[in-house]
Amino acid sequence: MGIVHGDLMTLNIGPQHPSTHGVLRLKVKTDGEIIADVEPVIGYLHRCFEKHCENVTYDQVIPYTDRCDYIAAMNNNFGYAVAVEELMDLKVPERVEYIRVIVSELNRIASHLLALGTFGLDVGAFTPFLYMFRDRERILDLFEVLCGARLLYNYIWVGGLSHDFPNGFEEKIIDFLDYFEPQLDEYNNILTFNKIFIERTADVGVMPAEVAISYGVSGPNLRGSGVKWDLRKDDPYSIYDKFDFNIPVGTGTVGTIGDCWDRYYVRMLEMSESINIVRQAIKALPSGDVHQALPKKIRPPKGSVYKRTESPRGDLGYYIESDGSPIPYRLKMRSPAFTALSVMGEISSGWMMSDVLAILGSLDIVLGEIDR
Amino acid sequence: MSRYFRNIFESISTLMTGLGITWRHMIRIRKDNVTLQYPEERWPRPERNIGFDFSEYNIIRSRLQVDIDDCIGCLKCERACPVQCIKIVTVKSGAKGEDLMDIGHTGLTSNGTKKALIVTRFDIDMSECCYCNLCVYPCPEDCIYMTGGPNSKKHPIDYEFSQYDRNDLIFKFAKEVEEEKMAKYLPQKEKVEA
Amino acid sequence: MTIDQLMNWIPFGADWPALAFFAAVLVCALTVFLFIAVYALMAIYGEVKISSFMQDKVGPMGQGVGFHAGKWGLLQPVADAVKLILKEDIIPTLADKKLFIMAPFVVFIGAFISFAALPFNQHTVVSDLNIGIFYILAVGSLSVIGIILAGWGSNNKWSLYGGMRSAAQIVSYEIPAALSIITVIMLTGTLSMQGIIEFQKGTIWVILPNWIIFNNPFSFIAFFIFFISGVAECNRTPFDIPEAESELVAGAFTEYSGMRYAFFFLSEYAEMFVISAVATTAFLGGWNSPISGFFDGPGWGLFWFMGKSLFLVFVMLWFRWTFPRLRVDQLMSICWKVFLPFALVNIFGVAIWSLIIG
Repeated sequence: MGIVHGDLMTLNIGPQHPSTHGVLRLKVKTDGEIIADVEPVIGYLHRCFEKHCENVTYDQVIPYTDRCDYIAAMNNNFGYAVAVEELMDLKVPERVEYIRVIVSELNRIASHLLALGTFGLDVGAFTPFLYMFRDRERILDLFEVLCGARLLYNYIWVGGLSHDFPNGFEEKIIDFLDYFEPQLDEYNNILTFNKIFIERTADVGVMPAEVAISYGVSGPNLRGSGVKWDLRKDDPYSIYDKFDFNIPVGTGTVGTIGDCWDRYYVRMLEMSESINIVRQAIKALPSGDVHQALPKKIRPPKGSVYKRTESPRGDLGYYIESDGSPIPYRLKMRSPAFTALSVMGEISSGWMMSDVLAILGSLDIVLGEIDR
Repeated sequence: MSRYFRNIFESISTLMTGLGITWRHMIRIRKDNVTLQYPEERWPRPERNIGFDFSEYNIIRSRLQVDIDDCIGCLKCERACPVQCIKIVTVKSGAKGEDLMDIGHTGLTSNGTKKALIVTRFDIDMSECCYCNLCVYPCPEDCIYMTGGPNSKKHPIDYEFSQYDRNDLIFKFAKEVEEEKMAKYLPQKEKVEA
Repeated sequence: MTIDQLMNWIPFGADWPALAFFAAVLVCALTVFLFIAVYALMAIYGEVKISSFMQDKVGPMGQGVGFHAGKWGLLQPVADAVKLILKEDIIPTLADKKLFIMAPFVVFIGAFISFAALPFNQHTVVSDLNIGIFYILAVGSLSVIGIILAGWGSNNKWSLYGGMRSAAQIVSYEIPAALSIITVIMLTGTLSMQGIIEFQKGTIWVILPNWIIFNNPFSFIAFFIFFISGVAECNRTPFDIPEAESELVAGAFTEYSGMRYAFFFLSEYAEMFVISAVATTAFLGGWNSPISGFFDGPGWGLFWFMGKSLFLVFVMLWFRWTFPRLRVDQLMSICWKVFLPFALVNIFGVAIWSLIIG
């Protein structure tokens, strides 16, 4: 018996595992409970989104964008519509812009609720997850009234919207916001400031700002690292420059800047900012026809465009190359969750088995968007 | 040392807060309950006051339905479908707007448009459908729509359709026509190709 | 106690004492098993309903035509049990079959034989051992062997993780639990369960019942240390790291199905009851009524004992549906850095208290 040289054990987390948020496989090298290396293996949900888009017309792409980030389909529709409109040099009516902002901010709240709820589930808190799902359900109900679908909306079209607001819809949204705002305190009490939750997430999986920037991480994950970067403010698209809102950043309240708790709390604060934006937008909602600017046939001129928007997961970009036909020549989607997942290996080595799943949960990935 | 005791105190107080919240929810269950006993109770379908142009289209995305009597075979819905789940085959009818009783081809749609084509095949594969609603908008005769909504009188909502066989999800809307009756409308006995 | 009565009652007891003893043990064992089974069904129903109520839903209801899950879902645990019994018993090809098959029974035995010393009321206790509480603490840790066997025998990495975590956890939490029981033993001067309860008759501080939890501030803290360590020993949230469903799939029980899984389940609930019952006995006056001199008697004794124990079981459920899960190293540090020092201080505190006041 000589000295025992501990070999690393390779462990596959997923593709079928309760907390990989879809079909993700993490190849984990562990030394007992300590993680030596994490390698995400993706592609189990690949559906050829980009190749599909080269075979369908511009308006038929929109249902496909729904299915990329199915948690925040409105924001995906929005990004694509904005990109094509820029390519076509199309001006959309003001009412359309306002409605787009309202629905995408509502969808941001829904997406963050799911992200936070599943993050709580990953660290073992079941009840807050169901509270958040209950409230997300209300947003989905609103969207069902709005466009008939609960998850994959196909609502924001190039040059307009599929439907106008139904009568009395603004009041329904205000009702929901009035109901929802006090709920945030309850989430904070039951989960955010719970000592066990803080122990599990503070100082865990710290992503310093340089690492985040060099990996191209964006959205709440980047802001959790203390970088004040939000496309709604820094590169305003649509009418986001008309609204007054803050960009919450991670401050390391209970741990280090850029830990899991900061990423979590940034999302929590962002929800109240979204509420703020929706309230302002509803107050200023002009009247008008939402179908006015819908083009009869979408046939953009030759050229290309890259437009990025702030989806709940971060910097969502669409690169569209047009050859003047009604079908895109090439469409590339820059997925924020993809870059967020790529940083996993960097920030999770050295932590423990349970922390890997907490870190994964805090990054809030959607596999539909990563694999496309 | 003080940090040690503060941690313990914080733990106790925050955990008690959490326990208080779940306790409150437990005793208020009659008020807070959100469960629906599904097959007996159903979520009320959203009432929508329609005040805009596309008023004739409903917004519930359930099952696609085609009023084949109104279909003029323009193929717009087939072209609009991003997943090619609609398959239409048409044959030129003798004269525009003519009523061909033997094959059940009514010459006029309910909008008064004269039909020039006989639809011999109109299949929608609902297992492929992505419920994007894109086929509904271009239809000039409003004959393809999702069931329910404003059409609920004609076709009650049907989002719970399920089948034991995948082939049963292909809904065939074209009228069954016998070969020999159809023959005289087919130019030069050409077989209809799928 | 009960076992002696049974032996006296059996007609051939005098002629064949060994046979009579065996018969009496069999009767007691069957009764206890039935009790565990019925209690587990109730606890599963309670867990389903309580968790649902805490989460703003109503749980199984079984409305409408047909049988469904009975009125208010009362038949749901029965349906669960039937499902578990009828399920296919899968043993992985590469598993260590002997260990794999043995593990659920070892775990169950650990929980099962603890019931032998639980005093349900003044007379009903299978055997009032003079070392009752020591016996329960000792056999209660048998289950850890079963969980390690399950973790190792399954030949699955997740199970191995679960087994190893469980070993570390249960062995560590034995210590603060035992140390807080020592404070009780110091006050009562006996290890017998009935003796401990007898000690807690009467009143203290004028109105409070003379329960050990109210005896002095140190025993007050000792109760919480014991109870929380007990939660950890049962592998319940926030200490459920051995089965941690979002991390280790199902930990040590990943490869189990059907009846074998049901035995793990049963022993988890049985262990919860044992821990609650011991906490009730040692700190909450066992079958003593809260108002001294009223509602006494064997019937009320059973009521008080069951009431207090089931309330503590409810608290465990309450914990589970409120808290997130701790990490394995935090679990250890809480045990060694918080509970253990406090438990030791308690022992000194109680000693000094009984010297000065008692």
